[in-house]
Amino acid sequence: MQKKILLTAVLAVVLIAGIAVIGAAKAYVPGTPITAGFIYVGPIGDYGWTHAHDVARQIVAKEFPWLKTVYVENVAAGDTVSTIDKLVNDKHCNVIFTTSFDFMNGTLAAAKKYPDVIFAHCSGFKRAPNMATYMADFYQVYYLNGLMAGALTKTNKIGYVGAFPIPELKRHISAFTIGVRTVNPNANVYVRWTEAWENPAAAKEATEALVAEGCDVFAFTQDSPTVVQVAAANGALSFSHYSPMYRFAPNNVISGELVHWDKIYADFLRKVYNGTYTAHNLQNVDYWWLLSQGAVEMGAKPGMPINPIFINKLKATIVDDPELGKISVYDLIQTRLDQMANPGITFDPFQGPVYDRKGKLEVPAGMWMSVNSLTSMQWAVKGIIGPWPGEP
Amino acid sequence: MGWESWLISTFARALAYGTPLLLGTLGEIYAERSGVLNLGIEGMMIMGAYAAFVVTSKTGQPWLGVIVAAAVGGVFSLIHAFASITLKANQVVSGLALTMLGLGLAGVLGRSWVGLPLFTPLTRATVPGLSAIPIIGPGFFTRQCLLAYIAMLLVPIMWYILFHTRIGVTIRAVGEDPATADSLGVNVARVRYLCVVVGGIFAGIAGAYLSIYYRPAWTAGMTGGIGWIVIALTIFAFWNPVYGLVGSYFFAALYFLAYRMQMWVAPSILKAMPYVFAILILIFVSRGTLQKRMGAPAALTLPYTRGEE
Amino acid sequence: MLKVLTPKWLKIERRPVPSGGVIFLVSIIAIVAALLVAAIFFAAYGVSPISAYRSIIGGALGNWSGISETLRRMIPLLLCGIGLTIAFRALFWNIGADGQLLLGAVAATGVALFSGLPGPLLLPAMFFAGFSAGALWGVIPAVLKVKLGINDVITTLMMNYIALYVVLWLIHGPWRGPSMRGYAYTDMFPPAARIPVIGQSHVHWPTLVLGIVLAVIMYIFLNRTRGGFEIRVVGENPHAARFSGISELKTIAIVMVLSGGLAGLAGVGEVAGVHYQLLDPTQISMGYGYTAIIVAWLARKNPLAVIITSFFFGVLMAGGDVIKVNLGLPFQLIHVFNGLIMFFLIGSELFMNYKISIRRQ
Repeated sequence: MQKKILLTAVLAVVLIAGIAVIGAAKAYVPGTPITAGFIYVGPIGDYGWTHAHDVARQIVAKEFPWLKTVYVENVAAGDTVSTIDKLVNDKHCNVIFTTSFDFMNGTLAAAKKYPDVIFAHCSGFKRAPNMATYMADFYQVYYLNGLMAGALTKTNKIGYVGAFPIPELKRHISAFTIGVRTVNPNANVYVRWTEAWENPAAAKEATEALVAEGCDVFAFTQDSPTVVQVAAANGALSFSHYSPMYRFAPNNVISGELVHWDKIYADFLRKVYNGTYTAHNLQNVDYWWLLSQGAVEMGAKPGMPINPIFINKLKATIVDDPELGKISVYDLIQTRLDQMANPGITFDPFQGPVYDRKGKLEVPAGMWMSVNSLTSMQWAVKGIIGPWPGEP
Repeated sequence: MGWESWLISTFARALAYGTPLLLGTLGEIYAERSGVLNLGIEGMMIMGAYAAFVVTSKTGQPWLGVIVAAAVGGVFSLIHAFASITLKANQVVSGLALTMLGLGLAGVLGRSWVGLPLFTPLTRATVPGLSAIPIIGPGFFTRQCLLAYIAMLLVPIMWYILFHTRIGVTIRAVGEDPATADSLGVNVARVRYLCVVVGGIFAGIAGAYLSIYYRPAWTAGMTGGIGWIVIALTIFAFWNPVYGLVGSYFFAALYFLAYRMQMWVAPSILKAMPYVFAILILIFVSRGTLQKRMGAPAALTLPYTRGEE
Repeated sequence: MLKVLTPKWLKIERRPVPSGGVIFLVSIIAIVAALLVAAIFFAAYGVSPISAYRSIIGGALGNWSGISETLRRMIPLLLCGIGLTIAFRALFWNIGADGQLLLGAVAATGVALFSGLPGPLLLPAMFFAGFSAGALWGVIPAVLKVKLGINDVITTLMMNYIALYVVLWLIHGPWRGPSMRGYAYTDMFPPAARIPVIGQSHVHWPTLVLGIVLAVIMYIFLNRTRGGFEIRVVGENPHAARFSGISELKTIAIVMVLSGGLAGLAGVGEVAGVHYQLLDPTQISMGYGYTAIIVAWLARKNPLAVIITSFFFGVLMAGGDVIKVNLGLPFQLIHVFNGLIMFFLIGSELFMNYKISIRRQ
């Protein structure tokens, strides 16, 4: 009995102590130095997602003299709030970026706990007065890569090694496939899921399975260059993903997707610094940045949109585009790139009519998809072959 | 896409992914045969992978990388040997500690090597003659890593040593009945030390295979649980190198087929299959008298002190 | 055997049974020694070891947010650890607490989201379901071992992987939450299916209290009842067990029902007290099931001591966050740190079981 009383007493004491800590952070005054905390889901050396965020962090840290940055790597979903506790209370962060969908609920809870701290959560859909969301998305670039893949495949089988069947990947694979089919209606995209962001053995064997299937061009979503390496070892072509992977197979990498998170971070932090963003007006702030904002880039290394050794082949392949007439794939890529990269975007890969692979009309003729429907996309376009968990 | 091509690609991948499993299993069989369970395979493997990558990157000599990885694995295993043999510590806990230490150390040391390409990986070779055999030839003997062939060759050698030589008898005696072995003049500690180090050397080489051939690249945690599969395969193989080969290739084949057949079955279910199969096979072979002959070494996990049995 | 490394002037005698005091003292010395070695790493990174340790202790115990992190980590370690002490007493090597924990989480999620039970019944039903699922996952290897002689290390280890893929399949397939926009999570639990927490922390105190109560009950069960006696006999002397008519099957099955069931409860705590949904299995288990093996071993198979050892590992895990966040050092240092502490602790076993003195000429 005594034990129980003692326990209750202990619990009561910690409870009171707990309440005392809440609300310790002070509101940010515009124009004063900012300490920005970055919470990463993986190790900064993952050569993918986290690596790219950390490169961006270093760029903005160099750019703004009033900015100090701290980062925490390998944070688990369940540790989001406790990590933010330390960043706010011990590191005195005014702005915190949480860079994974996994952190969504934790960031929201922390935003309530620290109403004066400014939060930005990457790739999620929940916001609060002091919590914005942001995303640099690749679907346009995947479409452009798809155009190249369709022209360069000899077997008409293109492999895609995906991590998890979530809307982001489904959107990318569909955009990629639309590109492929635009120049090569006979080609299909074969999809395999590894159910891991980084598991080299899984990525390798999945690629090998697709090679055995007959695929000769590869795109992927993995936080490692494994697919590029395996494709090259089998004499197949590939697209780099996220980080510049050109040097892993200079003769086999066609192009790829590069990200510039620093564009978003710089814009966001500048607006916090000059008082545009406060801890009270972020409820509707959602960055959905694409080619035209420079948040993403086509290429396997910065400044090289297409590996030169493939340019002649792309120029020599002529297709009949319903809108642009007879045109080389190379020119088609340039045209579409210009249409999407310049302000006043005049083209979108998901321009209707778009049918899913079951034949249902998903985007009516002449329509574009809303950001909301893009970020919750579940269906697959025609030409995708492979399992599609959650397909409507 | 005929059945031949299915078989060939499955065989080829069974060998490619099965080799690190086989190497690790061969070493662990020796350690466990002498009575020492080493759950630190993952830790020794990652240290080997790290060492091989660094050495190969710096010197451009992949085989030097393999040798150094073997040495690093062997030295690293001494920690477990010292704890479990000399200090008579609990082997399960010591092994877990070794895994933790290895993953941590390799992660800390390897930070600056992440994301770098390797320009001189181990090369592939085709075995003349054998590669001409239909299906088996293109599957097992064409364009594979030399290390894969070496691992394959080691199987009969290690099987012969274990079951048909004095050394093998000694190792098994130490693992079955150390007191009797001791009374016959065998230095139990020395035999166990040697076997644990053999296990470490093999795990180190398996790590090298991963970082300078299979990947080839370095990231922290790149062994991705292969060390744990090795633990399971060792038991699955009934502590016999020949079954170790069968088990390793079988597991690797299933792992590969999980991706080939993803079209028809949910990926998670397929990936659970090797583990389900392993248990089912154990159930199957455990019937009848087979089991007695194939049981674990009697003194596995038991430290030995003279006069204390 | 020890001769290999023992100089002549040392005298080593086996202690009959080490006393609690000896165990405690030697363990403390071992931990201090490990911290001294680990200090080299801090120094190598240019961090003063003294200030590093001060901020680790301060971060894990110095304020409420640290304590709450320690306690949160302690809960699953405590529940799994108690279960493992029972299994280890019967010399059943249950490496499968991780999988049993996951199955408990699955069962709790199923009840929380799909049972339709009225609010007040939800949590009790979830705990019951979680215990049952963990027990079921644990009892399979028990039966396989006793009936067919199949090694317990392999089956429990394999079943961890199977459990992992079961969770993956559920969150990607049938249980994926319609409100999660296609991401692989189940929907959030209704409020009635959430375990109360202290303040805004993740400390789901009812689970903690349950763990402490169960530690006491299991201690009494193991040391004061016939069932507990039989478990010890089966573990320490299987021959004697057979002669005295103790059913090995029944005993081991009970052991693993308890061991797996307790791990299952830990799983319930994680999904209903921390995450409020089923998510990626590695995010749920966090390796608790493996760490609990060390927790149980360090407690010398004594459920009451698990309260202390699980707290200690809670401190280590929370301290690991400090290394990462406050000191900004590579997170892998935490593994090095834990590995070193474990090796010094197992090394210290020798000093517990053997009396070492200087031999007089």
